[in-house]
Amino acid sequence: MKRRITIDPITRLEGHGKIEIFLKDDGDVENVYFQVPELRGFEKFCEGRPVEELPQIVTKICGVCPGCHHMASGKAIDAVYGVEPPPTAKKLRELFYMAHFVHSHIAHFYALAAPDFVVGPTAAKAERNILGVINKVGVDIGTEVIRQRRIAQEIQALLGGHQTHVVMNIPGGVRKGLTEEQRADIEGKAKGFIDFAKFSLKIFNDVVLGNKDYVELILNGPYSLTLHSMGLVDENNKVNFYDGKVRVVDTEGNEHCKYAPEDYRDFVAERVEPWSYLKFPYLKKIGWKGFVDGKDSGVYQATPLARLNAADGMATPLAQTEYERMFEVLGGKPVHSTLAMHWARLVELLYSAERCLELSTDPEITGKDLRSPLPNIPNEGVGIVEAQRGTLTHHYITDDKGMVLKANLIVGTTNNNAAICMSLKKAAQGLISKGVEVTDGILNMIEMAFRAYDPCFSCATHSLPGEMPMIVNIREKDGTLIRSVIRRN
Amino acid sequence: MDPQPGGIMPAGKNKILILGIGNDILTDDGIGPRLCDFLRERFSDTVADFEKLNVGGLEVLEFIDGYETVVIIDAIKTVLGRIGDIYLFTPDHFKETLHISNLHDTSFITALKLGRSLEFNIPGRILIIAVEIKEDMVFSESFTSELAERYVEVQENVMQHLEYLVPELSRPPERSPLQVN
Repeated sequence: MKRRITIDPITRLEGHGKIEIFLKDDGDVENVYFQVPELRGFEKFCEGRPVEELPQIVTKICGVCPGCHHMASGKAIDAVYGVEPPPTAKKLRELFYMAHFVHSHIAHFYALAAPDFVVGPTAAKAERNILGVINKVGVDIGTEVIRQRRIAQEIQALLGGHQTHVVMNIPGGVRKGLTEEQRADIEGKAKGFIDFAKFSLKIFNDVVLGNKDYVELILNGPYSLTLHSMGLVDENNKVNFYDGKVRVVDTEGNEHCKYAPEDYRDFVAERVEPWSYLKFPYLKKIGWKGFVDGKDSGVYQATPLARLNAADGMATPLAQTEYERMFEVLGGKPVHSTLAMHWARLVELLYSAERCLELSTDPEITGKDLRSPLPNIPNEGVGIVEAQRGTLTHHYITDDKGMVLKANLIVGTTNNNAAICMSLKKAAQGLISKGVEVTDGILNMIEMAFRAYDPCFSCATHSLPGEMPMIVNIREKDGTLIRSVIRRN
Repeated sequence: MDPQPGGIMPAGKNKILILGIGNDILTDDGIGPRLCDFLRERFSDTVADFEKLNVGGLEVLEFIDGYETVVIIDAIKTVLGRIGDIYLFTPDHFKETLHISNLHDTSFITALKLGRSLEFNIPGRILIIAVEIKEDMVFSESFTSELAERYVEVQENVMQHLEYLVPELSRPPERSPLQVN
C-alpha cells in the first residue's frame, strides 16, 4: 500500500510549488516529486521587440533577482551587437551587482536560513521565522539586518536608476556614471558591508558550528548529494559573479569543462519530465542518467557551494581566508553537504562586500567613458552571470535591425531542479520511515533540503490566494485520505 | 513620487500612500499597478502618494514606513470568486499571505510584525483592496478578456471603496493662509 504525503505550498520559498512524497507499504519513502508551476510565454512575449528593451523587461521576470536578469541581459545585448563595454561601464555594472548580492544574501540568511539554525529546525512554527531569530539574537541585530539591506538597495537605486526595475544597461555600456561624492559615499557603505558580513559569519560560527548537533546535521545528516559543481570563474579560476567563463568540476574536484557563454549549448542540455513544468538541465557530455548522483551522473549543482567547489579560491583576501577555513572544517574540497550552502553563501556575502570596496576605490569607477560605439549589425548573443541561486544564461537572436526573433533563458534555480528533487528525496528517506510520526518539525527538516538552494520559482507574480494552507495529505494506495495535516505559518 | 536618486523612497510629503502591487507584464497580475495609475489621475497627489511595486515582504515594509494610512491594491485568486470581484482586507484577516508576501525573505504579515518589533513607523491604518483575477502565469501586457470586460466596473468600485474608507482622499488639500491663488 503506497501512501502519499504532500507539502503544498512550500514555506519560506519564493514562488510556489508542491512536494509529493510517496511512501511504500512499509512506511519508508519510495519517491519524492517536486512540482512547480512556471511562468509561460516569455519567448513569445519578446518576439518583435527591440533587443535593447530586454534588460528592462527582464527585471520583471523576478521580483527577487531583477538585477541578475538585468546584468545577464545587458551582457547578452552587448554580445548581440558584438561589443565590449569600456572598463568604467563594466566596473559600474559589477559594483551594482555586488550590492545586489549583498542585499540578497543578507535577506536569505536571516529570513530563510537562520530560523532553522538559530531557532531550531523542530521549533514551534510560530517562532521559526525572522521574528524568532530576532528574539534570540536581539533587536539591535534585527535593526542592523534591515539597515544593511536597505543601504545595499540604496546603492542599487543610485547606480541602477531604481532598486528593482533597473534601467542601467544599454548596448555597449551603461546610462550614467558616478560622481566623486557618490563614489565616496559607496566606499563608506562598503566598509559597513564588510563588517556586517564578518559579523554574520561569526553568528554562523557561534550558533551553528558551535552546536555539535548542527555540525552533525551538516556533515552526516540526510542532506548530502555527490554531484558536479558549476560556477563562473575569472581568468585565475577565482569566483566571479559578473564575468568570466563557466567552469564545472566533477565530484572529486577535477575540471570537467570550462566554457565561454556563447558555447553553453555544447555543454548543457535540458530535459522535460511529464510531472513538472520546470525543465531539468544536465551536462551534455555525460548525458542524462536519471535522478542519480555520483561521478557518472549528468546532474549538476549551481549554488553558492557549487561556485566555491568549482573555483580555485576567492579573489578577495578576507573571503579567501573564510573559503579556506570552510573547506578545512568540512574535510576538503569539494564539499557535497547541502546545508553547507548556507556557509558558502556567507563567504560570498563577504566577497561581495570586499568587491564593493575594491570597485568603489578603483580609479576608473568615476570615469566618463560609459559606452562603446555599435558598429556591427546585431545578430545573436549570450550573456551569463551568476545569480545568487545559480548560473543565469540569457540567449537572444535578432534580425539585422535588432528586433528579437528568439529568446532563451536558463535561470539559476532551473540548473538545480534535478538536484533539488534528489535532495528532497534523500532528506525524506532519511527522516520518514515506519513508525515515525510525520510531524511539522519533520516536514520542516525536509523543506530545509530545498531552502538551502535559495530557490526562486514563479516569483514575479503577486496574487493573494486568500490564505496559505500547506496541506500534507497521507493517502492509501487507492487515494483514500487517511490523514490530512494543514500547516499554516 | 519617484524614488529619490541615491536612496530608497522616503516617507512622502503626504500621510496617505496608495500602493499598487503587481507585475504589469504578467497579464492580470498588473491590476494593482494599473489601478494605481488610474487613481493617481482621479485623486490629487497633494493628498496622497501613489506608488507601484513589483515586490513584497521586507521591501513593502521599507516603502510604507512613515505613512499614517496605506492602501495596498493587489490581485487575488480564490476558489469561487468571480473575475473582477473586489475584496477588502486588513492585515488581521491574514494568518499568512503568499504574495504581498512574495519575496524570498518574509511574508508581509511577518514583515509588519518585524517592523513593529524594531520600532519602525508602521502605518496605523493598513487596508488591502484585492481584485479577483484569472491569469498571472502568462506573459502579456493585456488583461484576460474576462478581467478586461469588467475593468471599468473594477475602477469605479475601487474608487467608491476608497472614497468611503479614506475620505481624506476626497477633501481638498488644506491651504496655507500665506498661499495665494
